[in-house]
Amino acid sequence: MNNRLRELRTELQWSQGELAERLGVSRQTINAIETEKYDPSLPLAFKIARLFDQPLERIFVPEA
Amino acid sequence: MLYTWCMNPTPAPDRTEPQVDRALVKGALRSFELNAWLAVTTATYLATLFLVRHHPEWSPEWKITLALTPILPGLLYLRNGLQLLRGLDELQRRIQFEGWMFAALGTVIFSAVVNVFNAHGLGGNWLPHGLGVGGTYLAMFILWCVGVTIANCRYR
Repeated sequence: MNNRLRELRTELQWSQGELAERLGVSRQTINAIETEKYDPSLPLAFKIARLFDQPLERIFVPEA
Repeated sequence: MLYTWCMNPTPAPDRTEPQVDRALVKGALRSFELNAWLAVTTATYLATLFLVRHHPEWSPEWKITLALTPILPGLLYLRNGLQLLRGLDELQRRIQFEGWMFAALGTVIFSAVVNVFNAHGLGGNWLPHGLGVGGTYLAMFILWCVGVTIANCRYR
């Protein structure tokens, strides 16, 4: 699964730690999602979408 | 130290803004508390073992009470361990799960290999009675550390 998390985060000039704190997860999780080594659970994905005020499918894109 | 690192790995550096990861510090403190309870449990166990062995004149009731004393810090250790697990986020839980699976399956395989070696008289007299309880715990702990380290490297 590809995602635009890093792009959205840097647009808002947030650090990984800041985003992790806002989402209630560790920085390791944010880093793993951004580097596409880990796909978040559905509740976390929705939380991310709500935080960035974007539809889920605009943040997470399935690999072609 | 290895245990604390396994529970609180350092993720790859964030190039946006280097800062202290609060979650990491919180996790390290929790791990320290957990290790402290384990140390108290072990110390209590060793102390009661020493007292029971060196005082055969004490009544059996008193000896049983004394021998059961380490259960109390042990339960507090268990409570802290569960709190630590509940405090982990989904990736950390996954890492712990992979670590435990690696440890459990690795110990089963290692134990089976030792038994096969013993049955065929191979490997000298290294572990004549298999792993035993202590050996199983030790093998599980070492393999858990290895498993968690592998999982952390994968998601780093």
